[in-house]
Amino acid sequence: MIPRHFQITIALVLLAILVSGIVIIRMTHKEEALTQQTADAAPAAPMLNGKQEHIQLLLAYDDDEALRWRPADVFLPADRNLRARETLRSVLAQYLQMPSPHPLAKGADIKDVYFISDDTMIVDTTAQFADGHPSGILLEELTLASLIETLTANVPGVAKVKFLVDGKERETLAGHADLMSFYQTAAVHELAKEFE
Amino acid sequence: MLWSKSGAALAILAVVALCCARSEVSKTNMLQAQIPEASLSPTPAQLATPSAEGQKRTADFFVMIDPSHGGADKGAIFGTKLLEKDITLRLARELRKELEERGISSRLLRESDIDLSLDRRAEITNEQRASLYVAFHAGRPGKGVRVYFPVLTDAQQPLAGRFLPWESAQSGSLSRSQNLARAVSEELKKKGLAVANLGVPLRPLNNIVAPAIAVELAPEQDDLQSLENQKRQNSVATAIALGIVQARSQIGVRQ
Repeated sequence: MIPRHFQITIALVLLAILVSGIVIIRMTHKEEALTQQTADAAPAAPMLNGKQEHIQLLLAYDDDEALRWRPADVFLPADRNLRARETLRSVLAQYLQMPSPHPLAKGADIKDVYFISDDTMIVDTTAQFADGHPSGILLEELTLASLIETLTANVPGVAKVKFLVDGKERETLAGHADLMSFYQTAAVHELAKEFE
Repeated sequence: MLWSKSGAALAILAVVALCCARSEVSKTNMLQAQIPEASLSPTPAQLATPSAEGQKRTADFFVMIDPSHGGADKGAIFGTKLLEKDITLRLARELRKELEERGISSRLLRESDIDLSLDRRAEITNEQRASLYVAFHAGRPGKGVRVYFPVLTDAQQPLAGRFLPWESAQSGSLSRSQNLARAVSEELKKKGLAVANLGVPLRPLNNIVAPAIAVELAPEQDDLQSLENQKRQNSVATAIALGIVQARSQIGVRQ
């Protein structure tokens, strides 16, 4: 026969474990929901350790079949990855406004930017960026040259860039411009001169 | 007795709750561990293209004409029903006719509305040892005709031996491609067309061993119907054929 006080103690301990388990489950679900909410939110959460900067964007102008440098005031974080992402987003923002010098589809955005080595960067775009991009050699090349040139002008030390679409490789942007290769920024700089 | 039964039941419940909590936590950890990973696998058919040098060549000089897009890949869509894939096929047939009139053999990569991947287009062109490759496109913006020659932005060092990296198979023909583009552009200008001569990293041009160019027809003054204009298409095809005749002797392609 187990003493009564011992039974009570065991019961309380087990009850405490049960309650802890339930609390942990609820906290986990809350955290997941919060993470999802943060990921879906647009614009992204406020960035720390950054400042408003006066930078130059190389923008495509379809009517003139040309690329031109334009100044812009952009809040750029100190973190290199975030700085690169915000630089690219500021270019896309110019294309998404009305009237646009180089219209892109609604939802065209940069999902993520990260370095896989000191000088090699991966740019992950949204599916809408490629799916809704107007098809045509010149239109697609202007987009890529504009993004890569603006990136290298504002984020030092980028030698190679590769584009992904929604986390995956894609053959071309919209049927023409190559997305399989790593773009050497020095070579793109020479290409961009043809359009400036 | 009652206490011991209740205690056992509570114990079972507690263990079940703990197990559930643990599995939820590990699931969350797994989700958080999913760092965006680029599937940076090598492209298909890498290193599969034989070098143009030292290979036994077959047949005579011929031009591989590529009516770009086809099948599910419509290319650019102009207006409601004018498709790039149809324009490119008409231009390709027109060029074949013009070349035949000048005694130059040619083959079309597609004769009908079929799907053909970019890699497959390059594979066929390389396998058949084409002397030249001309791809047709149609697109906005601007006017006239744009002639593109390949530029390698991700130049890889050619491997030793008889194989070339797939992504830069064009490396041995870059200057000849540029010369071909220049010759074609000159002939287009003579026809009174607005011409731009541009270097771009364009597939499948970069995967082709032979001199390769792409010709993009743009609508005139935003008139989409000008893309279908038979006279204009014929004028472009004639100029390209003349450019090929000019370039044939200059760029050192096999006769």
